[in-house]
Amino acid sequence: MTTPLDALIAAERSRQRGVLRRAALYAALVAAASVILLGLSGWFITAAAIAGLAGPAVATAFNYMLPSAGIRLLAIVRTGARYGERLASHDAAFGALARIRPAVFAALAAQPPAVALGFTTGEATARMVGDVDAIEMRFVRRSAPWGAAAALSAGLCLAALGGIAAAVLAAACTALLLIAGRFLSERIAAPGRAVQRAAGQLRDSFAGLADAAPELRCFGLEEWAATRIDAQSRVLAAAQRSHANAAAWFDLLHAGTIGIAAAGTVALAAGSGAPRAALAALAAAMTVDAAGPLLRAMIDRGRLIEAQVRLDAVFAPAAAPAVRARVRDRAPAVALTLLVDSCVAAPGTRLALTGPSGSGKTTLVEQLLGLRTSAPGRLRLGGADVTTLAPDGLRRCFAWAPQDAMLLSGTVRDNLALANPEADDATLWRALHDAALDARIRALDHGLDSWIGENGARLSGGERRRLAVARAYCADAPWLLLDEPSEGLDGASEALLAERLVDRLNRTGQGLIVVSHRPALTAICTQRLDLAPGAARLRDAA
Amino acid sequence: MAYEDRAATARPAPDRIAARDRRRWLTAVTADGGRATTATQFLVLDSVAAIGFAGGLAGAIVAVPQGVAAMLPWAGLAAASGVARGLFAMLSARIGAAGAEGAKTALRRRIVGAALHRDPASAITTGAFMSAVVDEVEALDGYVARFLPARKAAALAPILILAATAAASPVAAGILAATLLPFIVAMILAGGAAADQSRRQFVALARLTSHFADRVRALPIILAFRAEDRETRAIGRSADELSARTMRVLRVAFLSSGSLEFFAALSVALVAVYCGFNLLHLLPFAAPEELDIGRAFFVLALAPEFYAPMRRLAAAYHDKQAAETAADRLAALPAVHAAAAIPMPTGPIDIRFDRVTIRYPGEARAAVSDVSFTVPAGRIVALLGPSGSGKSSLLHLLLGLAPLGSGTVRVAGVPLAPGASLAEIASWAGQHPLIVAGTICETLTLARPAATAREIDAVVRHAGLTPMLHARPGSLDGPIDARGGGLSGGERRRIALARALLKPAPIMLLDEPTAHLDAEAEAALITTITVACRGRTTLIATHSERLAGIADQIIRLGDAA
Repeated sequence: MTTPLDALIAAERSRQRGVLRRAALYAALVAAASVILLGLSGWFITAAAIAGLAGPAVATAFNYMLPSAGIRLLAIVRTGARYGERLASHDAAFGALARIRPAVFAALAAQPPAVALGFTTGEATARMVGDVDAIEMRFVRRSAPWGAAAALSAGLCLAALGGIAAAVLAAACTALLLIAGRFLSERIAAPGRAVQRAAGQLRDSFAGLADAAPELRCFGLEEWAATRIDAQSRVLAAAQRSHANAAAWFDLLHAGTIGIAAAGTVALAAGSGAPRAALAALAAAMTVDAAGPLLRAMIDRGRLIEAQVRLDAVFAPAAAPAVRARVRDRAPAVALTLLVDSCVAAPGTRLALTGPSGSGKTTLVEQLLGLRTSAPGRLRLGGADVTTLAPDGLRRCFAWAPQDAMLLSGTVRDNLALANPEADDATLWRALHDAALDARIRALDHGLDSWIGENGARLSGGERRRLAVARAYCADAPWLLLDEPSEGLDGASEALLAERLVDRLNRTGQGLIVVSHRPALTAICTQRLDLAPGAARLRDAA
Repeated sequence: MAYEDRAATARPAPDRIAARDRRRWLTAVTADGGRATTATQFLVLDSVAAIGFAGGLAGAIVAVPQGVAAMLPWAGLAAASGVARGLFAMLSARIGAAGAEGAKTALRRRIVGAALHRDPASAITTGAFMSAVVDEVEALDGYVARFLPARKAAALAPILILAATAAASPVAAGILAATLLPFIVAMILAGGAAADQSRRQFVALARLTSHFADRVRALPIILAFRAEDRETRAIGRSADELSARTMRVLRVAFLSSGSLEFFAALSVALVAVYCGFNLLHLLPFAAPEELDIGRAFFVLALAPEFYAPMRRLAAAYHDKQAAETAADRLAALPAVHAAAAIPMPTGPIDIRFDRVTIRYPGEARAAVSDVSFTVPAGRIVALLGPSGSGKSSLLHLLLGLAPLGSGTVRVAGVPLAPGASLAEIASWAGQHPLIVAGTICETLTLARPAATAREIDAVVRHAGLTPMLHARPGSLDGPIDARGGGLSGGERRRIALARALLKPAPIMLLDEPTAHLDAEAEAALITTITVACRGRTTLIATHSERLAGIADQIIRLGDAA
C-alpha cells in the first residue's frame, strides 16, 4: 500500500533524479576503479618480478609505462569519484529532508483538530527530528546497489582471467554474503525498531516531566523523575547497544568473506600463473569489499521501517475525514446565525457572550472556528451548518483573540503578521493603537521587531492579551471574536480598550462577538447571549 | 532561543583555556573504566591480522609454481586472517558500543538534573533541553565508540605495519614513513576547518526543534488564522538552514577524508611502482635492496593497511567535532543548584513577605516588585491577579524555583536564605497536575509512598474524589495513562488536591487550582479546598474572585497594564 509518506518520498526522489543518478554513477566508478586498481597492482608486481627474473632484456621489453600510469589514474579516479558520490547522495538526502520536515507540520495541521491538537509537543517533535532523520538513509543508500553491481562486473571479468572457477567463486562469495546479510538484517530489524521507538519515548517522557518542577520539588520527586527519565534513557541506550552488537556481526561476516574469497581465488586461479592468480585474488577481495554499502543499508532497515510507521501516524489521514461542503465564500456579507436560541446576528452586530465560567462560551467560540466538533444544527453561518463548511471558509470569517493569548515565540511583528502577512507598518501600528498597546511597544528597544520570548514571556499578562487582540485587529475578517480581552486590565486601560474598539468597529463595520463579564465591554454590545443553564437566553443589551 | 544564542556566543574563539576545559569535561563524561583501551587493543590486533593476510597472500603467490598443495597452507593463513580481522572488528565495535552506552546515560542524567531544577520561567525552553537530552548527547556515541579507540590505535597500529614492511623492504617502509607527514598535516587542517561548521549545525538543529515545538503548541491560533501554509514555509526555511549547514559540515568532512584517501592512494601507487621497478631492475638509482616476488607482493598488500588506522581516525573525526561542539553547549547549561533545606520550624508557621522583588536573569523587568504581605499561621491568603502578574513566581520563590532579587521572606520568623526551599514542609497542587501512567493510587501516593490505606481513603473523601472512583472500573487501582485520558479537568484537579493533602505539611501552596473549570465544578472544588486547607498556612494563586472569596485575606497583584 502506498502511504502519503511513500508518495512524498517518491516525489522527492524524482525531483532529485539527476543528483541521485550522478551519485549512482560515481558509486559504480568508485567500485569498479577499486577492483581494477588492486587487481592491476597485484598483476603488475607479480609480472614485473617474473620479467625481472628472466633477465635484463625481458625486463626492458616489459611494458611498465601503461600499468603504472593506469595505477595512478585509477587511484585518482577512485578518490574523486568517492568524494563526488558522497557529496551527491547526501545532497539529495538533505535536500529531500528539508522538504519532508515542513511536510510533517503541514500534515499535522491538516489532520482533524481532535487528532492534530492531541499530539503532544514531544511526540510531534520526535517525529519531525528523529524519524525524518532516519529517512535520510533511503536517499544516501540508493547508490549502493549500483556500486556493488559495478564491482561485481569488473571483478568477475578480472577474476575470469584466472579461470572460470575463480570467477564463479568470487560471484558465489558475494552472493552468499548478501544472502547471509539479508538473513541477519531480519534479526537486527527488531533492535533497530526499538532504537527508533525508544528515542521518541525519551523525548516524550522528558517533555512531560520537565514542566512539573514545583510539584516534583514539593513532593521530593526530583530524584524520582530523574530516575524515570533515566530509565527511558537506559532503554534507548540498551536498544542502541544491542543494535550495535547485532550490527557488529556484519563486520565479522564481511571481513571473513573477503579473506575466504581472496584465499579461495588464489588457489583456484593458480593454474593460470602467478600474475593472473594475484590479479584474481585481489580483484575478488575488492569485489566482496564493494558490497559494504549494501550491508550497511541492511543494518539500518529496522530503524527505517519504524521511523516510517511513526511518520505514517502523522501523514495518514485519520479515519475518513468528513465530507465537507465546498467553501462558500460569501465572506463579508454573511449573516451569522447562532441556533442556540435562534439568535440571529446580522452582519455588524455587536454580541456579548456571557454566562458563568464553564457554561461553554469558549467552547462555542472554538466550535465557530472549527477547532472543535459541534453537534449538527447548533451553529449556522450564512445559512449553512458550520459542521458542513470547510474549515478554511469558516475561519476566513473570524478574527480570533483567544483567552490565553497564544503568542508565537518571535517578534511583535511575527505575531501580528500571523493574522495578515501583507499588512504594512501603518496597519500594524493602527492595530496596536486600537488595542491600547502602541505606547508600550514603542517603548521597547526594537519596536515592532522586539523579541517577546516563548509565548510572550517578556510581556505581562495584560500585555499578552492585548497583543492577541491587536493581532485579531490585523486580520481582514467580517467578525471579530474576542475571548475575555480585558481580563487583567485596570479600569482605565479597559475603558481605553473599549473606547478604541468602538471607534474601530464604527470604522470597519465589522461584527463583534465578545466573551466577557465586564460591564465596560458588555456595554458596547447591542445584543447579549447568556449561556447560563436556564437563563433567558437572548436579550437586547439595552 | 536564548539558550542557543548564549551557547553560540559562549565560545568566541577556540582559545587554549576553553579547549583545555572542554577536554577535561569530555574526559570526565567519557570515563568508562578502560573500555576504550580494550577496544583499541582489538583495533591493533586487527592490524596484526592484516599482516597475516598480506603474508598469506604473498606466500600463496610465491608458491604458485609449486602447485596448489604448496599454496594451501598460505591460502589458509590468508583466509584465517580475514576471519580474525572480522572478529576483532566485531569485538572492538561491541566494546565501543558498551562504553558509549555508559557515557550517554551518565551525561543524560546530568542534563535531566539541570532541567528538573531550572526556574520554571528560565530562558531555556523545554524544546531546547529536549534537543540537548536526545540529539546533543547522541553526539557522544561516535566519539566514545569510534573516535577514542581509533585515536589510540592510530598511534600504535601504523608502527606495527611499518615494522612488518621494513622487515620485507626497508625502502618501501621509508617511502611510507615519508608520506606520513603531509598526511597528518592534511588531517589537522581539515579538522580545524570543520569545527566551526559543526557548531553552526548544532545551533541550526536546536533552532529548528524550538521553532517546531513552539508552532505545535500554538497550532490552534495558526489554524484559526489559516496560516498553516505560511508557518509550514517558515519551518521549511529552518529545515533548509539545517540541511545547508549539515551539508557544509559534511562537505568539509568528505573533502578531508577525500584528501586523505588521495594521499594514501598515491603512496600505495608509489610503493607499487617502486616495487615493480625494483623487480625489473630498472630503478634510476642504485637500490640498497633486491626484492623478490614474495616480499614485493607482501609490501604492496600491506601498504594500504598502513593508512587504514588513520583513515579510520579521519572517518571518526566528524564524531569528535560533534562531541566537542556538544560538550561546549552542554557545559554551558546551568549547573544543578540543590535547594538548601531549611530546618523544620516548630509551632505555628507564618510567612512574611517584606518588600520582595523577583527578577529572572536576563529579563528586563521584574516579575514581582516590592511586594509585602503576611500569611498568618493556619490562615488562607489569596493572591489575586491576571496571569503574568507574578502570583506563581511568589509560590515558586518559596520552593527555591525563582530568584529573590531583593527583600526578605521570613518563615516562622526565620529569614529564607537565597535559593532555599520550603519543599520539606510544603505541599502543592497546581492547574496541570503531574499524572503518571499506572494506577490512580500510584499517582496519589507520589506525595507520600508510605501512606496507609486509611490515610488515602481520608484524602480521597476530603478531595471529593469518591463519586469519580465509584464510577471508574478498578476504583483506586484503575489504570490511567500519562495524559490522564478519561479524566475531566476537575477530576485531575481533585487528584492533585488529594495528593497535596496526603502530605502532612503545615504549608499548602495552590497554583490556580480552579482555572478553566465550569461554574459548578469550581463551586464544588472551592468548598473542598476550604475544608481541606483548614489549619494549614495556605497561599493560593488565582484569578478567580470566587476562590479568593474563601481567603482570610486577599492580596491584589497589580498588572502593569
